[in-house]
Amino acid sequence: MSTHTKFSRRQTLGLLGGASAGLFSLSMPAIAQGQAGRVVVVGGGFGGATAAKYIKRGNPKLQVTLVEPAKRFYTCPFTNLHFGGLRTFEQQGHGYDELRALGVQVVHELAKDVDNKKKTVTLAGGRTLNYDKLVLSPGIDIRWGALAGYDEAASQLAPHAWQAGPQTHLLKKQLDSMADGGLFILSAPANPFRCPPGPYERISMVAHYFKTKKPKSKILVLDAKDAFSKQGLFQDGWKKFYGEMVEWVPLAKDGKVVKVDAKNLEVETEFGKKHKAAVLNIVPPQKAGAIADRAGVTDSSGWVPIKPQTFESAQVADIYVVGDATAAAPMPKSGFVANAQAKVAAANILASFSGKPAPQPAWLNTCYSLIAPDYGISVANVYAVTDGKLAEIKDTGGVSPRQASDDFRKLEAQYGVAWYNAIAQDSWGTRAG
Amino acid sequence: MPFFRFSVQAGIGLGLMLAAATAAQAQSPEDIAVLAGPCANCHGTDGRSPGGIPSIAGRPANVLSAQLKAYKAETPPPGTTIMNRLVKGYSDAQLDALAQHFAQIKPTPAAAKGKK
Repeated sequence: MSTHTKFSRRQTLGLLGGASAGLFSLSMPAIAQGQAGRVVVVGGGFGGATAAKYIKRGNPKLQVTLVEPAKRFYTCPFTNLHFGGLRTFEQQGHGYDELRALGVQVVHELAKDVDNKKKTVTLAGGRTLNYDKLVLSPGIDIRWGALAGYDEAASQLAPHAWQAGPQTHLLKKQLDSMADGGLFILSAPANPFRCPPGPYERISMVAHYFKTKKPKSKILVLDAKDAFSKQGLFQDGWKKFYGEMVEWVPLAKDGKVVKVDAKNLEVETEFGKKHKAAVLNIVPPQKAGAIADRAGVTDSSGWVPIKPQTFESAQVADIYVVGDATAAAPMPKSGFVANAQAKVAAANILASFSGKPAPQPAWLNTCYSLIAPDYGISVANVYAVTDGKLAEIKDTGGVSPRQASDDFRKLEAQYGVAWYNAIAQDSWGTRAG
Repeated sequence: MPFFRFSVQAGIGLGLMLAAATAAQAQSPEDIAVLAGPCANCHGTDGRSPGGIPSIAGRPANVLSAQLKAYKAETPPPGTTIMNRLVKGYSDAQLDALAQHFAQIKPTPAAAKGKK
């Protein structure tokens, strides 16, 4: 069983078991015969909430437990619009009542540890949950210290605001109290990181805020890359709406920040140039959420390798991992993709419990960004497994046309909001405010 | 072919035949459900939109199918922003299957109690 690539042992059992259960009933695990089983999902974001919902919907007899410390989950997507003054923070909050109504047991505790041999999850309060299948959707953790000078204490002065919550409020407060004419610096990381267009949408929304409230202010983007998501569209939009307010410095022009002095709101780039900010936003290097390490599913990259067909961990059986924590390139680390991956994992988990063949996977991504009110852009892609690897399907997807009417941009801005409402409903069952 | 490899490893001839037959079959309802999965991210769970993007649940299959294929045309319908970029990732047979899938879903949940 060690050399084949496309089919895991579980899938093989599924295929054979579904067609001829009688023949194999002795050697098959009990759960493959349709008897109800136990699923634990760790993480209540786009990936985890979707997995819990679709597994419970797919087979209400399964015991599905969702472990998420927050009673109300705030999404990173659309919090940039909060910086632009276009949405309240609360509009990005989602509760778990609908999942409970569906029969999902929601436990508001931190998952502290996973024993992948005993197949248990230990909660911070000491309780232990047994699982037959585990879904991890832990999102990202910050690699504290990977960028010299940027540790947890530094983030209290120079926020990352890359996980929605107190960090979002801190950055908003700093922007609100900044004097007109100040310099906002955003340091953008090298790939891979959560939400590839995110730093550039944030720039757009801060620029909108400055334009309306603090028009003498400037924005400097120091980037550890030479190219970024939807780059042409963003740069066109910045010029159109914000003129010379935004300056983007790529890696090749000494854009890479190598040292942060949070006390002085100062950064130093590769070639020793220092920049002092009025408000400093560091989007730091990242890795998979800590529980993935505890479960033994991360590799030396800090991210989680997965079997492309199923999103089961490539390293540990019966643990499925979805969302930003995975190494799933060319898929981006987006909420949309986390939701789509979770549905594929859910379908595989359902099939394995019922002894049915593993379904053909399918994913897509659509990601909207707002450059100004009524001016939205998007990128889309359709994915498949090609030669055993995740790949974009040729000649599909792509970004919004570079030349487009204002009506087109306005439609995409409206579709962005409609998308957010739809995916919130699809993931948590909630309606955004 | 991975089928042959694992079947030989399993050492069961019948398994080989059955597995090969499964692979040769058209897409199962489960496959179509997975294919339809990410549609919900914009069109709402089961294709019932919370608003702003059209609902697709319960619309006639021929209408949905024709619409999906129209997005594939050199000049997509006026007002198209993103569907033309997405449909190119699907064969006509897949688009037909998706149209059938959503046509069979009731436009509103049977047990809905007017809760908003």
